[in-house]
Amino acid sequence: MSQELCSIKGSREGLVITISDASQFSEVIGSLDRQLAASQSFFMGASAKVFLRVGSLTSEQLDQLEQLIAGYGMHLDREPPSFYSSISPTTPVQDSPKREEDNTILVRRTIRSGQRLHYDGNVVVMGDVNAGAEVVCTGDIVVLGSLRGVAHAGAEGRLDATVFAFRLEPTQLRIAHLISRAPDEKVPLPEGPEIARIVENTIQLSIYNH
Amino acid sequence: MGKVMVITSGKGGVGKTTTTANLGTGLAALGQKVCLVDTDIGLRNLDVVLGLENRIVYDLLDVLEGRCELRKALIRDKQYGERLVLIPAAQTREKDEVDPDQMLELVEQLKEEYDFVILDSPAGIEHGFKNAISGADMAILITTPEVSAVRDADRVVGLLESAGLHDPQVIINRLRPDMVRKGDMMDISDVDDILRIPILGVVPDDEHIIVSTNRGEPVVNDKKSKAGQAYRNIARRLLGEEIPFMDLQERNLMGWFRKVLS
Repeated sequence: MSQELCSIKGSREGLVITISDASQFSEVIGSLDRQLAASQSFFMGASAKVFLRVGSLTSEQLDQLEQLIAGYGMHLDREPPSFYSSISPTTPVQDSPKREEDNTILVRRTIRSGQRLHYDGNVVVMGDVNAGAEVVCTGDIVVLGSLRGVAHAGAEGRLDATVFAFRLEPTQLRIAHLISRAPDEKVPLPEGPEIARIVENTIQLSIYNH
Repeated sequence: MGKVMVITSGKGGVGKTTTTANLGTGLAALGQKVCLVDTDIGLRNLDVVLGLENRIVYDLLDVLEGRCELRKALIRDKQYGERLVLIPAAQTREKDEVDPDQMLELVEQLKEEYDFVILDSPAGIEHGFKNAISGADMAILITTPEVSAVRDADRVVGLLESAGLHDPQVIINRLRPDMVRKGDMMDISDVDDILRIPILGVVPDDEHIIVSTNRGEPVVNDKKSKAGQAYRNIARRLLGEEIPFMDLQERNLMGWFRKVLS
């Protein structure tokens, strides 16, 4: 992901297309087209803002961008995202987690194989995350159902991010820079909800009791 | 106005074509007017399963591209005649030549005339699949109780949702009760746990299917076959009847012993 010239993320202001370097515009368009094509119609009907890390775009380039995303059922909001401009892309969010300010998205459906959800903030899924699906976010992940796919919490390095699920049986679990995977042999699962967090530099699962 | 159903699965070889043939025949036997469309262009075989291969003159592409009248491409079934007709897939052409708008137009025309239009989709999720689902009002997924087939079915549910086809139903095909009992095969609840969509029916694995496929006579007409019974039940459920799921346990002496002992 970090190799891509642009990324699409959800934020408080709707979708934000972050472009890392506007001078490579044609590559940016190519990369965006690939990502949108891969997401199928996940973003259908959404409105997106553009955030430039380096450089600026001409109005012709903006028109071209608008046309591209219109092809995927999205429309362009030309207002710059106010919230984004205040975050420096090089500073890790790691040591200043202002949780009360985070975004949280509520997904009221099951995320199925082949579907990917990327979000800048926390994710709550009212449904399952099936094997073959992927949830990546900068905050915490809460699944009110079974988590069988890949989950990555604290994707921008937040070490105190957690993953919670009623049934926590992921293919792979990532928190910040750490990765753990399901054991190869079948292990009996506890009946109740579990939570995963980083303890002494490894991802640990424990039964959730409040 | 009839209903347009697409039979699809993602994974190949799970029984889409067999299911299409049997549900079509089952519905025709219940007095419905049914049109089957084989959309698996380049790899047609619905006509073979129905035993109609030798009657093909025109195919789906001929109709879509206006080379023949729709009426002329409809192949009447041996047993049910006008009540069960088939539009066969083209054998020789590339499937990229069909576009979803043409399919939609054809389907609109067919559902004026028929109670059920059943589209047999190709395996995969590419162009051919997208053609097959365009114009469908409802989708029936076929899966076998195998992890790979269920995974693909799950993927297809997601794709159907994004194409606006909500509330698909699933048929679990080729279930082997003996293997389920030993814990060697996923059972109905395992599949249900993952997909969470209504189960339209469960069809047991049955040797009669192979025999009937080779003969070109759908197993749904075979009163002795359990798979045939399962398909008859599904056809009746499609008409809104409430039919309980079959008891798939074996009925021999060993089965009886096990029941007594348990």
